[in-house]
Amino acid sequence: MKLLRSLALAARPVQPEPHFRAQQFSRIYCLTAAGLFALQAIVAMLGALDLVIPDLPSPIPFEYGRAIHLGLAEMWPLIATMGMVYFFVTAELKREIYSPRLARWQFWLALAFTLSIYGTLALRIGNGREFLDGLPVLYLGLCSTLAVAVYNLLRTLLASGKQVTPAAVTMTVGMVFLLLLLLPNTIHYSNPIADEATKFWVVHLWEEMAFELTSAGFIAAFFITSGIAVRSQVEKWLYLEASFAVAAGLYSTGHHYYWIGFPAIWLAIGSLVSLLQVIPVGMLVHMTYKGLKAAKLTSKREKLTLWLVLSSLFYHVTGASLLGLLITVPWVNLYMHGTYVTSGHAHLALFGSLGFVVLAGCYYILSRGSEPSSRGYKAAVVAVVLLNVGLVIMGSALIVAGTLQSYLWRFLGNSFMQVSAVINPYLILRVLGGSLFALGDLLLFGVLFGAWRQTKAHPVGKP
Amino acid sequence: MKLRTFLVLSGLSFVLFVAVNLISWQLPLAIPQSAAAGKLVWQHHNCISCHTLFGNGGYVGEDLTHIVAKYSSSELVTYLVNPPVMRPNKHTLHPALSEPDAEQLVTYLEYVRTLPTLGWPPQPEKAGDYR
Repeated sequence: MKLLRSLALAARPVQPEPHFRAQQFSRIYCLTAAGLFALQAIVAMLGALDLVIPDLPSPIPFEYGRAIHLGLAEMWPLIATMGMVYFFVTAELKREIYSPRLARWQFWLALAFTLSIYGTLALRIGNGREFLDGLPVLYLGLCSTLAVAVYNLLRTLLASGKQVTPAAVTMTVGMVFLLLLLLPNTIHYSNPIADEATKFWVVHLWEEMAFELTSAGFIAAFFITSGIAVRSQVEKWLYLEASFAVAAGLYSTGHHYYWIGFPAIWLAIGSLVSLLQVIPVGMLVHMTYKGLKAAKLTSKREKLTLWLVLSSLFYHVTGASLLGLLITVPWVNLYMHGTYVTSGHAHLALFGSLGFVVLAGCYYILSRGSEPSSRGYKAAVVAVVLLNVGLVIMGSALIVAGTLQSYLWRFLGNSFMQVSAVINPYLILRVLGGSLFALGDLLLFGVLFGAWRQTKAHPVGKP
Repeated sequence: MKLRTFLVLSGLSFVLFVAVNLISWQLPLAIPQSAAAGKLVWQHHNCISCHTLFGNGGYVGEDLTHIVAKYSSSELVTYLVNPPVMRPNKHTLHPALSEPDAEQLVTYLEYVRTLPTLGWPPQPEKAGDYR
């Protein structure tokens, strides 16, 4: 607490900027998401320890702990994204959201349903679906909060008429897709193929399509505000990038359909369309490179945001795109699928590319109206370094463990248990990487909490 | 690219995607009632957290997509009703199921075995202690 207080007091207030009520609510979305992210690190660490310490006692059995871990991995970015979209859409359109009251109610509903999912899972009540474990009625509740967001955003866009910007539209379309892709997951499927496929509408398509759109909107708005890119340049490519993200994101889901009972044509669709997913990433990296060469950031707040965005881009290129492409080749996937390679890829892609960009948005919003002191800035940089080093160690250990599984178990045909004993040291290494990551996570939460306290004490002015 | 083009492209891509999914996930054989009940048992006991099915799930236990090809139904039911200690633990047992639940779960796994997984899981290239 002392550390949090010192980080809070270390931040300096700066000249107030005009803001809207929706932007005020977005702060509570972001702070809550940061809290869930910190909880996520603790739950994940306990799960990783459970795998390497035999007979580890735990009040929550491993299977439900894992379900909470996977659920949190989707839910904290969702809640942060809800806040980020409200913040940046109002900033882009320079007008208040259609109904600030709805935005506030939406937050409390989203929080209630999220906590209910994890509370019931802790009591061993769920529906046994990976990544989407929990009572379906609670997921239906989450859909209702997304429907509120979509209604609020569409009414705001319609009220803006021709003043709408590509960033605002892209983020709103991202929210529409979050809703459309979650809805089919609120019903029970007796058909195991349909069950598996719809799961990937969230596991794959939320991250590689819907969140890609909301993140692209945020990055575009941030680059314009901080002078890294010119509005006209950004707006020229944004719809094109978003279209690629939608089409390539949708059909690259095929790489999850290879072995679940879908026809063989999906081997071709999944592998070929996955290649196209690199295009929007390439466009984003190109624009960032050009912008960074031309612009010089003087604000520490913007520098910190940029460090988090650059971390995201790094994993977008390495963990998501390059490693992702390698394992979508059907002949490679045949052996690597269902091993820790998939887990390594998921950690690097899900947290690496999505988590960092969401944290960037949270920090940018929560620190608005302040500048970090040199102490607060150093703490944040240490947190970012710990997160990156921890994630690289974790991801690499899982990839090595998975490669050994692919060769020794899948290719040579050794027994599963024999190979499990061989890969155990790499799972211990994963715990070490996870510890560094958790340390960075908690430190960054302290920075975000500090920024929130500071800007709460010095509220920014209203227009 | 203009707003309208982006919206039309996105909408069409999504509708087409849903349509091809609906066609692609048709079952070759309708799922029997007992197997559907077994799927509920699978979900109720959260088996996916430790085992993979079609390669998706947890990696603590073995993949169960084709487990019925390695063990007989009665062996599997016995294992589930009288569970052994899960290695490398010394005390922790595999979760126990009632006999009717175990039978339904095995029926579900027998059904899963009939689904066309395009050659996955792969056959090992060399002889080994697969079992």
